[in-house]
Formats: sequence, C-alpha cells, structure tokens
Amino acid sequence: GHSHHQTAHPGPPPSHRHFHSSPACTKSQPARFVNNEEDKTRQKSLVTHDDLFEQVAKEAKTKATFNKVIDFYTKGDIRRRGHVEFIYAALKKMPEFGVEKDLAVYNKLLDVFPKEVFVPRNFIQRMFNHYPRQQECGVQLLEQLENFGIMPNIETKVLLVRIFGEKSHPMRKYQRIMYWFPKFKHINPFPLPTQLPEDPVDLARFSLTRIANDLDAKVTVYQLPCTDITESGAEVTLPHIVGIQSPSQMEQLARHNPQRPVFVEGPFPLWLRKTCVHYYVLRADPTPPEEKVEEPSDPERCLSYPLQLDLDLDLDLGDDESFDVEDLDEGPVFAMCMTSQGDQATLNQWISGLQQSNPILGQIPTLFRLDTGPRELRDVADAESPNPGEEDEATVEEEPRRSQGMK
Amino acid sequence: MNVNRLIVFNRTFRIGERLLGCHIRHAGKEELRLQQRRTIKTHSRHLAYAKDLFLGQVNKTEVFPYPEIGNEELEEMKQLVAPVEKFFSEEVDSAKIDQEAKIPPETLNGLKDLGLFGIMIPEEYGGLGLSNTIYARLNEIIALDGSIAVTLAAHQAIGLKGILIAGSEAQKQKYLPKLASGEHIAAFCLTEPGSGSDAASIQTRATLSEDGKHYLITGSKFWISNGGMADIMTVFARTEVEVDGVKKDKISAFIVERAFGGITSGKPEDKLGIRGSNTCELSFDNVPVPVENVIGEVGGGFKIAMNILNSGRFSMGSSCAGMIKKLIELTSEYAVTRKQFNKSLSEFGMIQDKFATMALNAFVMESMAYLTAGMMDRPGLPDCSVEAAMVKVFSSEGGWICVSEALQVLGGLGYTKNYPFERYVRDCRILPIFEGTNEILRMYIALTGMQYAGKVLTGRIKEMKKGNIGLALGMASKKLKTSLGASVDLGLTGKDGVVHPSLETIVDEQLILKRVADVLINMYAMTAVLSRASRSISIGLRNHDHEVLLANTFCNDAFFKNNYWMVQLQKHSPENDDANIKKIAKQVLENRAYICSHPLERTY
Repeated sequence: GHSHHQTAHPGPPPSHRHFHSSPACTKSQPARFVNNEEDKTRQKSLVTHDDLFEQVAKEAKTKATFNKVIDFYTKGDIRRRGHVEFIYAALKKMPEFGVEKDLAVYNKLLDVFPKEVFVPRNFIQRMFNHYPRQQECGVQLLEQLENFGIMPNIETKVLLVRIFGEKSHPMRKYQRIMYWFPKFKHINPFPLPTQLPEDPVDLARFSLTRIANDLDAKVTVYQLPCTDITESGAEVTLPHIVGIQSPSQMEQLARHNPQRPVFVEGPFPLWLRKTCVHYYVLRADPTPPEEKVEEPSDPERCLSYPLQLDLDLDLDLGDDESFDVEDLDEGPVFAMCMTSQGDQATLNQWISGLQQSNPILGQIPTLFRLDTGPRELRDVADAESPNPGEEDEATVEEEPRRSQGMK
Repeated sequence: MNVNRLIVFNRTFRIGERLLGCHIRHAGKEELRLQQRRTIKTHSRHLAYAKDLFLGQVNKTEVFPYPEIGNEELEEMKQLVAPVEKFFSEEVDSAKIDQEAKIPPETLNGLKDLGLFGIMIPEEYGGLGLSNTIYARLNEIIALDGSIAVTLAAHQAIGLKGILIAGSEAQKQKYLPKLASGEHIAAFCLTEPGSGSDAASIQTRATLSEDGKHYLITGSKFWISNGGMADIMTVFARTEVEVDGVKKDKISAFIVERAFGGITSGKPEDKLGIRGSNTCELSFDNVPVPVENVIGEVGGGFKIAMNILNSGRFSMGSSCAGMIKKLIELTSEYAVTRKQFNKSLSEFGMIQDKFATMALNAFVMESMAYLTAGMMDRPGLPDCSVEAAMVKVFSSEGGWICVSEALQVLGGLGYTKNYPFERYVRDCRILPIFEGTNEILRMYIALTGMQYAGKVLTGRIKEMKKGNIGLALGMASKKLKTSLGASVDLGLTGKDGVVHPSLETIVDEQLILKRVADVLINMYAMTAVLSRASRSISIGLRNHDHEVLLANTFCNDAFFKNNYWMVQLQKHSPENDDANIKKIAKQVLENRAYICSHPLERTY
C-alpha cells in the first residue's frame, strides 16, 4: 500500500526533525524501499534505530531483512550519523532475527563504521584512546561475537585494520580472540554436535552412549513410541524405552548374589546444552566386606608363569596397598535406560526386557526407588514390590507383570 | 641462537661466505640464486636443514613453524581423499590380489578414473597437478594395498619423473597426457643383474646409429616394476661421450616406447610380498630410440637418476604411517575383546607397549614425511634429498617393526592367511630394500652431510690461516659460547672445529657412518616431532595433549639412543666394538662358515 502516502515533498518538514539526520533536505530521494518504511519514519518525530528494526520485525525476522535494514542505514546517508547507536541497536536485535551466530552479518555490521576516520595518525592519538566511543562500540561488537563463540575471519581483521588501525582496542581484542579461540575449539573431550537429534529414540540413544562412554556397550530399544487405540476407544500412548548395557555389566550382574536386591533409581537429569533428558539406573549396593568372596588363588591357573609370588614377606604398616581413601566402592551399576514416561509400569517393562539377556533378574528382588521428579504427574509412592521369585517365561507380547505388594 | 651467530658471521665477512658459496652448493642455478639472495638480505634463508645439522647448526626458520596448507587447499584435499578412501575400502580386494599375484583390470581402471596415475603431473598435461604434500596424503590411503602402492609409485614417482623434471617441452607434450590418464604405464629401468645398488656399473649400451638419428640400446634390465605392462620406460644406458677430447662412457637417460620393438619382457617374478605388482626382466635387443628421446643431455643420466630417486622417497613416510594407523585400528579391536587369564589383552603391559610403539612410530613418520613434503613445496627448489633419505630409512625400519608387533599381538591368528597381518608383514619386507637400500642411504646421509660440513669448516680454517681477524674472533667467541654451554656440540668435529684429516678414508668406515647416520636420522625425527607438536598446541588441534605426550616420549628415547651412539663413536671407548665386529666377520667370511667348535666336542 504505497498509494495513500503521498510523498510529494522532497524531505521532512523542518518541524519533524529526525534526531539523527541533518535538517538540510537531501537532494535526491533516499533509496526506495519496497515497503513504506521510510515514509513511516517520516511520520514520527523522534525515531530511534530500534524502531527501524521493529518495523521490519513485523514482517519476517530473517537474515535477509536484517541485512536490508543495515543496507538502508548505510546507503541512506553518507555521513553515517549515529552509527554507534545503530550498531548497538543492531547488536541487541540480532538474537531476535536469529543471526547472532552468523559471522557474515557481524562483518556487515562492522562495515557500517566509516573507514580510515578513526585510525590514529600519530603517537599522541594512539596514546590517548582515539575516538573512545567508537572503539568501545567495536569492542562490544567483538564481545558479542566472542560470547556466541564465533571465530572471526580474515575479513574481520581487514575491516578492523581499515577502521581502527593496528594499535587499537578492537584490534587488540581481535588478536586475543584469535589467540584463545583456536586453542578452545577442540578443548571439550566430549563435544556435543550443534544439532541434537530430534527423534526421542535417537536422542535417548545418543545420551545413553554419552553417559556410558564405553565402545562395547550395546543400546537396545525395548519399545518404540506409538499411539494405540484400545477397545474402549481411548488413546493410549506408549512411551519409548531405550536401554544400554555393556558386556562387563552383564557379567557382573550374572555374578550378583540373588539374595541382595537391585534398585531401579531415577530419574536423574542429563543436560545437553539447553535440553534436559532423564535417565534411570539399575544398580545394587556394594557388597559388604564380610560378604566379599575372595576366590582362592589357583596356582595352576597359568601354565607359563606364577600369577602370585609366594615369598612369605612380612608386610609393614606402610606396605598395605589394599586401602586407599579415594578408592570408594559405590556399588555396581548394571544398566541404564531412558523413557519419556518414568512410572513403575514402564520401568517394569524395561526390567522384563533386560531379563531376556540377564536371566538372573528373574530371581533377584527388584526395588523401585523412583523420585517424584518434575515429570511425574501422578503419585508414584515408593512401592516396594519384592519379587516372589518366579521365573518369567512369558512371551514378549504379554508383559510379565510382577505381583505388586502394597500400592 | 645458532642462527644469530651466523648472522654475525654474515655481517662480518660476507666475502668469505660468497666464496664458500661456490664450494657448497651442488646445482649451479641454486648457487647463483643464493648468492643473489645473500647480497640483498642481511640474513639468507638456509635452504638446507639436515646438512646444517652436521655443522651443529639448527636452522629453526626452516622447520618452525610446521608447514601448513591453506584452507582452500585443505578442503580440496578432503574432497579428493574421500572417493579414494571409499574405493580402497570397498572395491580393492587385497587378499585376492595377493593370492593371484595380479591386480585385476577393473581395479586398475578404477584407479585411472580417480586420476591416481597422474597425481603430480601438471594440469596442462592432463594430470591432477598436486603438490608433494597432497601426494603424500593420498599415499596414506593407497598404501593400504602394497601391490597397488608399488605399481603406482613405480609409474609416477620414478617411471615418468624423468620426463617431468628433466624432459623437454616436446617430450612432455608427447608422453605426459597418456601417462597421466593411465593409458600408458611407465617403468624405471636402471637395475641390472650385475648392478643393484651399484647403479653406475650398468652394462646396457646405447650406440649411435650410422645416420645419427637413432640410438640402439642393447642389454637387459632386471626387477623392473611394471615391466610386463609398461609402455613407456625410462632406460639408463652407457653412451660414448667426448669430454675434453677423451672418449668416455657416461650414462644417459632415454625414453623408450615398447612400440619401438626389440623389447621382450620375461615372466613375472614370484615374490614374497607385493605379489600383485608386476616385476620382471626386460631385454633390449638393438632397440631403436630416436635422438629426441634422450632426457636432458647425453651423458647427463647420472644426475637425472639421482634427482629422480631422491625426489620420490619422502612419501614412504606417509605410506607407512597410513598403514600403521590402519593396523592400530584392527589390532586394538582384537586386543580389547580377547581375554586371557580373566583379563583382556589390553590390560597387559607388554601389549600396551606394542600399541605405544605403533602410535609413536606412526606419529614420527607422519611428522617427518609432511615436514619434508612441506619443505620441498616451498619456493626456491630446496634440495631435500638428505631429509627424504632420512624419512625413508626411518619409515622402512619402523614400518617393519610395527607390522611385526601387530602380528605378534594377534599371535597365532596373525600368522594365518585369514587375517591380513601376514600379508602386511610380507609386503613390508621390501621397504628397507627398494628405493635405495637402507645401507646405501645411511652412507649417503652420512657422507653428504660430512662433505658439506667439511667443506664449510675447511673453508673457514683456510680463511683463518689467511689471517682473517673477523673469522678468528668468530671462532673464539664460538669457543667461549660452547664453554658457557650455549650451543649444541654434535661431536662430529674435532679440535678447532676441523673435520679430522685422518677421516679421508671415512668412506670405508661404514660402521662409523652407520652410527652417524642413525644419530642424524633421530635428530631430524626429533625436529619434525617437536615442530608438529608445537604447532598443535599453538592452534589447539584436537588431542594435542596426546601429541605432546608422544613427542616427549619419542624425544626422550631418541636422546638417550643418540648419546649412546655418540659414545660408541669414540675410537677407544669400551662401548665401541667395531674392531671386534670386523674381526668376527673377517674370520667367518674367510672360512665361509661358522667356525666355532661344537660345544659338545672334547679334547681329552
């Protein structure tokens, strides 16, 4: 709708003076915009640069529109009045437009500074913080770049040299960024990919492998998420159940004493940048020292060399290396799982699934110690449901139900 | 600090240096360029690194920082590497190639399609026109199959290299396009039944025909890789040349096409390893070779042969490194899963030692290869033949040890044909033998270095004797610095820094030269490793702390070995058993048998 804005006059009337443009009329019309932005700005008396962005924000918040605003500003007036405020406003608006991690946009924004004006020309200027506001603005731009973890490139350096010169604060900041950022790039021994998997099963698989950090551990999907419609017409959503267990954990579980219970604990949070997922753990208490069975060393275990030297040494107080203060036994963790719905029924399903590969679970009493975490909407009291000890030979379709004691 | 000292030298007696310049440099062109450089700058860039090590001088500017390639080149390289890796992992059946002793034509065609037959040929002739560094990188993948690696290397690293570096424009236009596409395969024909390492004693003759338009080559060449299928061969033969009115026999290089006729190839040799590579005897019976096909000038074949052989060696470092990296993957998979005595193999110290050896060797080989390639890629055509020889010696021996250890980890399984380890062992056995036997290369390293150092030092002595005060002061200051512990004394120079005159017969003292070469090889390896680790820390590459660990471990070990060898070098030290070794060998060889009496013998 360009029609009802008759722009016959060449410039703003003197009464509607823009804060940041000269009172003199521009000889030629400023760059024509498809939308009537410039006309809108002329209606107002005091226009801040924020408003420029807000007007564009009404349509679409993309990189293209952001660039358009910058172009509009730079091509509007050769004098670039108020470029410092413009840049500050743009920096603040960047996250809204989604361009805060885009280096090209930062370079374009840096291009807004007039070139060669702020370069100090002698040692006195260099000494006395030449054009402090502009230097501070440049530093703030680089600061925002740094906060979002973007590595500047050669174009940034060239721009900074042309704008501020070699011995300036923004240049110094650039040098510091270029010293530290490469060193920090690969510093995380467990880096997260920039895009986390969207699918909950994939996310669960990724997080479980991240926690287990064992190349031998195997991830099993016990149930995929699906929506079932029961006979009564009600919708039942089945949550996904993804579990992980490594061969050494399987062996340890096989050696576990069936008299002692195992616990299903959870949910524990795992933060992946801004996403929080919860996982559940199957663990047991550490075996008390009196119950620890030490297999007597078999002298015939190794044919080639003696596995233990029988030297009849008398050990001193200081020679006892079996005790270490830092050597804490927290008890074994046998398996982990992730599910969207962490109630006892779902976790029961998990245990039954685990039982396929660890038959000893049929004899071990399983206790559910679940926290009423933030995700739990209904009351799941600490239900102690000792297993009567029957073997579950149910088929996969029929989930073997454990007899519930008190509920 | 040594560089600074040389700056002082430079400034005080520039004239002396320029005189020396004539003695030191081999190639005349280089010398002129260097002299020009010296007149312009106050401190000239030393294009030699390893040779200056013999003078006790570490040219840090040459090796620090570690050579890098630009971002675009790196991206391009990754684009090239991906399809090659895919090809080698999916379509190359190494076991079959080894068993049938033949590379199937589909595989060869696949290699031709990937452009691997003309990696270093410039793009105007149809090749890929890549630098030494990228050639080394591609070799890392190609080395996964030994036969293919040797076939390709025989074709491009030596077979057509002669045309590439010394050929005339017409020769390049005529032959390189077909060679780059792989339509014609090249071979390098130098070795004869009577001359393997002794290349200058070849008997093949090339006589000029009556009309003066052809050379007729007669003779036979032996153990020629790609001999059975090569179409273009670089043949070295003796020609009669007149030098100052005296007729002499000098070696010349010829480009010979199989189509010229008169060439017969024998049956392929049945080899221990690299069985897929075609190695056979070639007989030349009055093969007519046009005069235009002489590479370079008549009688200049020796230099061409040296240049060809010296330029292809460095890639063995990256080939061996690539192979060891693959072996580490295969072996560690086994070591972690296999359990004995209720523990997995990876928990035993001796197995861990083997993995550490493999990792260290791969790291050092990679560092050395890419440092040499980077130095060779620099403008100014630096002469890196000594460095390339060092890379070859270290990599071939390191590769042999690592492959053997990898097989050992697998034990009996590694010994069977079901696993590729025995094939890798067999393929690696040729590495210390071909492309210059390690013994010859050690002699080359030691003697080239000593010649260079000796000339520089005797030059300085002569200057001093002429009464050049500046030089005398320089020597005095050097002595002072040495006594204050500022410089590294390699101990190769005797009193006053002169190479002892009794070492004129040094060429015959191979046991001494072997130790000298070993010390220098270790030093170059340490340089490469330190340079690479420093760069990794500075730019923060992933797992740079592991690199630092590898660098420190290797340097620790190499330092002690070097010290021991240096002690052994002293003529009358108890660690030096050279005299005994010679005596034992003499007695055994005289009797051509083991001469001790049997331990069970009695005298009464």
